[in-house]
Amino acid sequence: MDLVLQLLFTGIGIGAVYALVALGFVLIFRATNVVNFAQGEFSMVAAYLMVVCVELGLPYWLSFVIALAGMALLGVIFNLGVYYPLRHRTYLPVIIATIGASILLSNSVLAIYGPQPQVLQGWFDTPGIQLGPVYLDSQYLLIIGVTILLVLFNFWFFEKTLLGKKLQATSQDKEMASLLGISVSTMIMITFIYSAVLGGLAGILVAPVLFVSIQMGSTIALKAFAATIIGGFGDVAGAIVGGLALGVIETFGAAYISVPYKDGFAFLVLIAFLVFRPQGIFGERVAEKA
Amino acid sequence: MSASDNMIPAPAVRSKPLIIRHLPYFIGAAVLVALAAGMQFDGYILNILLQATTFSIAVFGLSVVLGLCGQINLAQAAFFGFGAYAVGLGTADLHLNFWLCLVGGCAITLVAGAVLGMSTLRLGGHYLAMVTISFQQIVTLVMINAIWLTHGPDGVANIRRPELFQSSQSYLAFCVAMLAIVGYLVWHLPDTKLGRAMRAVRDNELAAGVNGIDVFRTKVSAFGLCALLGGLAGGLFAGGFAYVSPDQFSFAESIQFLTMSLLGGVASPIGSVIGTGLLILIPEWLRFLKSVPGLYLAIYGLSVILIIRFMPDGIWGFVSDAFTRMRAHSKAPPVAGALQLKPATSGGDVVLEVTGLSKHFGGLKAVDGVDIAVKRGSVHALIGPNGSGKTTTLNVLSGLYKATSGKIVLDGTDITNMAPHQRTAAGLGRTFQNIRLFRSMTALENVEIGAERPGNTMIGKGDDALTERAMEALTFVGLGSRANELISSFSYGHQRLIEIARALASNPTLLLLDEPAAGLNSTEKLELHELLKRIAAQGLTILIIDHDMTLVSEAAQHITVLNFGRRIADGESMAVLRHPDVVSAYLGSE
Amino acid sequence: MKLTRREFSAGLAAGLAAPALMRSAWAQGATIKIGMCVPVTGPAAEQGLWAQNGAKLALAAVNKAGGVLGRQVELVIEDDQTTNPGIVLAFSKLAAQSDIVAFLGSIRSTQVQAMAPDVIKVGKPVMIGGTNPDLTHSGNPWLFRFRPNDNYSGRVIADFGVTTLGKKKWAIVHSTDAFGTAGGKALTEALTKLGAPPVLDQGYANQSQDFTPVVLAVKQSGADVLGTYFTFENDLGIFARQLRQLGVNIPWVGSPSVVAVSSTKLAGPALFGTYGVADFAEDSSDTAKAFGKAYRDAYKTAPDNQSAWPYDAITILSAAINKAGSTDPNKIRDAILATQKFAGAEGEYNFDKNGDGLHGYNVVKNDKGKIVYDKHIDFND
Repeated sequence: MDLVLQLLFTGIGIGAVYALVALGFVLIFRATNVVNFAQGEFSMVAAYLMVVCVELGLPYWLSFVIALAGMALLGVIFNLGVYYPLRHRTYLPVIIATIGASILLSNSVLAIYGPQPQVLQGWFDTPGIQLGPVYLDSQYLLIIGVTILLVLFNFWFFEKTLLGKKLQATSQDKEMASLLGISVSTMIMITFIYSAVLGGLAGILVAPVLFVSIQMGSTIALKAFAATIIGGFGDVAGAIVGGLALGVIETFGAAYISVPYKDGFAFLVLIAFLVFRPQGIFGERVAEKA
Repeated sequence: MSASDNMIPAPAVRSKPLIIRHLPYFIGAAVLVALAAGMQFDGYILNILLQATTFSIAVFGLSVVLGLCGQINLAQAAFFGFGAYAVGLGTADLHLNFWLCLVGGCAITLVAGAVLGMSTLRLGGHYLAMVTISFQQIVTLVMINAIWLTHGPDGVANIRRPELFQSSQSYLAFCVAMLAIVGYLVWHLPDTKLGRAMRAVRDNELAAGVNGIDVFRTKVSAFGLCALLGGLAGGLFAGGFAYVSPDQFSFAESIQFLTMSLLGGVASPIGSVIGTGLLILIPEWLRFLKSVPGLYLAIYGLSVILIIRFMPDGIWGFVSDAFTRMRAHSKAPPVAGALQLKPATSGGDVVLEVTGLSKHFGGLKAVDGVDIAVKRGSVHALIGPNGSGKTTTLNVLSGLYKATSGKIVLDGTDITNMAPHQRTAAGLGRTFQNIRLFRSMTALENVEIGAERPGNTMIGKGDDALTERAMEALTFVGLGSRANELISSFSYGHQRLIEIARALASNPTLLLLDEPAAGLNSTEKLELHELLKRIAAQGLTILIIDHDMTLVSEAAQHITVLNFGRRIADGESMAVLRHPDVVSAYLGSE
Repeated sequence: MKLTRREFSAGLAAGLAAPALMRSAWAQGATIKIGMCVPVTGPAAEQGLWAQNGAKLALAAVNKAGGVLGRQVELVIEDDQTTNPGIVLAFSKLAAQSDIVAFLGSIRSTQVQAMAPDVIKVGKPVMIGGTNPDLTHSGNPWLFRFRPNDNYSGRVIADFGVTTLGKKKWAIVHSTDAFGTAGGKALTEALTKLGAPPVLDQGYANQSQDFTPVVLAVKQSGADVLGTYFTFENDLGIFARQLRQLGVNIPWVGSPSVVAVSSTKLAGPALFGTYGVADFAEDSSDTAKAFGKAYRDAYKTAPDNQSAWPYDAITILSAAINKAGSTDPNKIRDAILATQKFAGAEGEYNFDKNGDGLHGYNVVKNDKGKIVYDKHIDFND
């Protein structure tokens, strides 16, 4: 039982990381119908910004603010440089452009900062607390807490605020939204900024656990991508559920079935779902109306 | 429409055999093979060329599945790996003959691709992306962890080549020859029946289905073919480099294949070669920047963004567009004879017998227990106010929707449970209210796809007969002289005529017209009416749905009226139009 | 089609030739050239940088002492991108330069395997750091190893744990890549020979974000000593922290990555008190100390095995060419194989007929963040 509890905690912790990155995927996907392959690089860039600020001797909270502000800027640049020029094309060229952007971002950081992995101190001084038989890592606790807050925030933002509703309207029907006087390109710009900040937040939160390296983004992004799929593309709540489910599935799969095949469980579950019950996660109509 | 009247019938021009028309290609290919065999390359250039050649073949696969058929495959590296491991394990461990392993590898990938395709191709684009990514990941994990089979991360060393091509140079020449042959086949594929079907599926799945194309089988074929080419390429790659390991077949490589394909131009094998060559060469060219780690790959990433940004159809698309613009307009189409319509008949008086047909969407009864009987050789109209269930009825008839209950019999055949393409084969032709043509094709190619309907007795063997039939149909609707123009250059009214021509070319037993007058101006409506008369004169039965009362009352002998999904009147035209229920349905009851 | 293909291939030839022309123009100086394939990009870019540092340090020393055969030595570096196809291209690119007399290959065994067919074709000596025993035991005469192979690391870990620490219940944790799998196997064999077969043999995939299941497996196995083969320092750092957090404090003897500089930095206190076998230990010999000092002076950080083996490789290769008196590959080969009792930074080199230079390991200890030399274990067979 102790074992199960410990695995559950780690599963949820790592799952929350996937969920945070997956959220960024989903928001962009909903707004633009495109999978952003550079989402993981957002996390990596933010973590490096944070490391640089901390090394400069700035206080932790200020570094945090600066790093997220930097991510907002990156979101703007990314939208203008990668998505906006291709917005009238099909999803494939945009995907390829995001792949290009991912290569560009990771190698630019490599060129500027060098290949050494860095250590980023956690938010708390204590590494964790022992709760009976279960050890709770303080950074994971923070990540889980932030995830819960974000779920609440997203709910409030998208359901209760005018801006959130405009964003919703844009992602559901661009033509209708523009008829209602909503500037679609502004909404998409906001989506990119928000996604970049979310990705950055995930990167900064996870950096003390996984260290700061050039590869940190791509490894998490792949899992987050799987989480997005499991949760159902285009659904904010789904991204959270998918991330947590993936974290728990692979942790338990690793503990009870096979550690080396850990990364495979998520994808097996995924294929099973898609082949046998696609409507179960999507509920999307397969037939096109004539 | 007057053009068809004074057209002089003449036989279509017979074309020269393909092999002769394409002779320059084979000469060019032979020169390349000779160069590959004869020029003295150093090891570096040899390796780059070998890599580019084998990768190109794998990217050809993507140009089939993505470029021709519009389906995404993010697991091409996995199929590439299957082929590579088949040759690797086969020659190094089992000491089998290279050719045997290569063929075996191809067979395995073909089956794997087809099975993967069959499990998911009924679903749409994003699903396929996800399943292929998952498949790719699992294959990679198995390659790493199934050490008993794959040697795990150590990889397979000492892979052998065929006796005939022991030296690297001769092996390269062999690979270039394979590239040329496969490239030729892929280049020629769009003009074959399967290739046309793939393009139709890519352009418009629904229209492809109702024109007799088995959409699912076409997609599975494209996917299997793509996998097969991946496997072939992988086998050649393994022989070339003598060593394979799992990290060469990872998700990142699949993405790279996709990037190569899109960058060069997904529509053509030439684009594949260009994209592959460039993506291998760009990092090599930029090596002089290596003193700053990461810089050259950063530039590489930037160039990918820029190429995609400024060359939407890839590099080859960009080049060939410019080439096409410079060239004069396409050549004039051959002149065709008069169209013959010989609707099949089983002898009965009623061509279409619909009994108790219902279609419910959840609680909504869109069509509820409708009976229709369409007499042979008649023009029968189905009318009703908006939302009365007309179009739903038509969609159930053509198989796009599955009937909740009821029975549909076409010329003595029960078609109630058939897929759209099977109904088309059984003799059903239709047009759509919102026109569904294959937008990337010419008018002629669109109509050819109609003419290719399985069971069409009106065409002979071979491509020439097909073209002749399609030309006849286009000439019949008055557009024969513009046969080689792309769909986008036609007016709305003319696109409607092309859609009718596409249905006519298939020589259907029953023609379903879904609001053919919608969006037409008064002259065009008049022409349409004339056309319907000429069709009816050849004995083809027509079931027409329209709002336009003038057209319906003049063209149709028989009318069925629907309202709220139920039949409210049925019978001879004039009588039905005077029926009080019909009047109140249209004008609103007091 | 024909035209385009021709144009394309002409462009390709021109594109390939341009850098080559630049290179040959630039290479007119009468230097002796040594090629080096090293990760400049990719996951091991960090280690690649250190390898370059080590090689350049040795190069400077060689040139200061008068060079080789009276000429200055020059290092030509190509990026292998930390991938197998990458090193195949990098090596063939170097090999195409006929004036390069010998090469430094990779520290990664799979990369060495990937380039091995080309190495045989080229027929020039290649110094390697990959520790998979098969590399020098599969009939390729041109590979020379400047690190002890995994048979020795496994035997040293087992010998130290069983004999010195007196522990018999072993848990083995290894990565599932080529390095980890071979290492885990070697350790299992060595332990079995010593009469202490492991109670747990646990593989994990590289770049894992979480090691809780692995740690819990170790905990549950009841092992009293841990032996590890980790490939990436990131993974090691995460594992070490989680191991301590979940209360596993048994002695730990691991492969060189346990005592690598960046692991020590990343994992911090979690690695205090661990033992690692190290082909390089600064305090193990005077040569190592001298290398350590020179490295610190030049690069302001502590060296480790990633930089020590290229240092030795360049030093011994230069000496061998001098001794051979010629750049003829076969003579260089004979001279390298004849190198005996040569004191290098990594230890004493005694080349055997397979091309293995080292036959033992140092055991070092992480003493509160400082890596201290413990003992050296050598084998004669």
